[in-house]
Amino acid sequence: MHIPDGILPVQVSAGGYAIASLVTWYSLRQINRKSDPTAEIPKASLLTAAFFVGSSIYIPIPPTSIHLILNGLMGVVLGYFAFPAILIGLFFQALIIGHGGLTTLGVNATMMGVPALLAYHIFQLRHSLGRSLPGTWGTGLFAFLGGALGLGLAALVFFVLVITTIPSGFDATTEQTAIVGLSIAHIPLMVIEGAFTATLVLFLQRVKPELLEGVGKS
Amino acid sequence: MVILTHQEAYIQLASPIHRWLPQQKLIGLFALMFAFAAVRQLALLVPMLAVTAVLYGLSQLPISFLGQRLRYPGMFILAVVLVLPLASGETVLWQWGWLAVRQEGLQTMGLVLGRFLSILTLGFILLGTTPFLSLIKAMRSLGLPAILTDMTLLSYRYLYEIADTLAIMQQAMQLRGFGQTRQRRLRLDRRVLQQLASLIGTLLIRSYERSERVYKAMRLRGYGRPQEPVKTVRAGQKRLPDKVGWALTGATLSLAVGFVVAEVALSRL
Repeated sequence: MHIPDGILPVQVSAGGYAIASLVTWYSLRQINRKSDPTAEIPKASLLTAAFFVGSSIYIPIPPTSIHLILNGLMGVVLGYFAFPAILIGLFFQALIIGHGGLTTLGVNATMMGVPALLAYHIFQLRHSLGRSLPGTWGTGLFAFLGGALGLGLAALVFFVLVITTIPSGFDATTEQTAIVGLSIAHIPLMVIEGAFTATLVLFLQRVKPELLEGVGKS
Repeated sequence: MVILTHQEAYIQLASPIHRWLPQQKLIGLFALMFAFAAVRQLALLVPMLAVTAVLYGLSQLPISFLGQRLRYPGMFILAVVLVLPLASGETVLWQWGWLAVRQEGLQTMGLVLGRFLSILTLGFILLGTTPFLSLIKAMRSLGLPAILTDMTLLSYRYLYEIADTLAIMQQAMQLRGFGQTRQRRLRLDRRVLQQLASLIGTLLIRSYERSERVYKAMRLRGYGRPQEPVKTVRAGQKRLPDKVGWALTGATLSLAVGFVVAEVALSRL
């Protein structure tokens, strides 16, 4: 789910860079508020590399397989480092394998990074709203919501941008129907991404709980 | 894994594009990429492809370098735009039953493919002629925040090692029987989901633990302490960019402005 070069009007590409710069500035501001921000950089960097590598894994759903986006999971684990991490990951993908693009880097980073930050805030709700739930249900539920909404929002922005900017000859109503239809078709993928995020977060909580508390959290 | 290809195999060539200062190259090629992204007029398609071809020729990179890298993103863009001649426009060029190829859709497809090919080629010229470290240093000198620079360098440094770790872990999983049982029904196996979550979780934990050791080693080497200004370069020794580099920067910036002006002028006709 990357928008390649050459599809979007230049105004949208430039707008994507403007929004991505603003969100990067805000994320770095939050990171710099920590007492020792440099201590978190190696952790966030190696986790960024691990996420980049891990996103190449496919989940088999016979007779096919699906690709995970992991942006919600990045938000849950990396907190405010998620946006710079996604920006860097997309930069690598554009340069190394030509996936996405350099002119669309800002748009792609915004499309995946902003939902990641939202997923982080949703996951933080486990401390307040999830407290009343039994055992690990709160953590699992808010991790699921973070993962599912991270993918869902990114998919929605992707379809809106691609369908409304490519001159297809369809009228506004048809375009709207296509966006709604494609977004609804992605609900099963949201459920899988959410379930995967919840399973992984519960695994981390059992084995290495400080990974869910430490990096990039304000 | 796809990322493990020889990215810097042609870095050692001595073409004018290789000798172009990374900062200037970044500015020149990025300006041209955005100018190409602005192209909407069919008349500019051929000049855009011609400029790209000249720059690629100047870089002395082999055609196979471009061919390998265009294959994967090319398939994706084709899947997106192939429907345009069938769905977009009113002027029917060819019809067979309900299937009709329309002129306007065909033109839009040509424009999207031309822009895609040109911008992507410029990106590969940038990467193929500039060492990754020089590229990041150039971005830092142009104002990239220090945290982003450090994160990019560290992520890139450990990317290949983490990819190797994942490959070993996946091989170990397969040797223990993962993926051997075949299902025919379209359904998600909860056990498979848990196993893959454990795989990525373990990869994250290993990377996290490794980062703690990396951070300690970096601290011992002075990372995070205020830096003293380095006074190693004297005025007389300062390396000046060569004339070819300035000429290329001037030419790419002029071309970028020229494409934007031509686009605006043609759209008003």
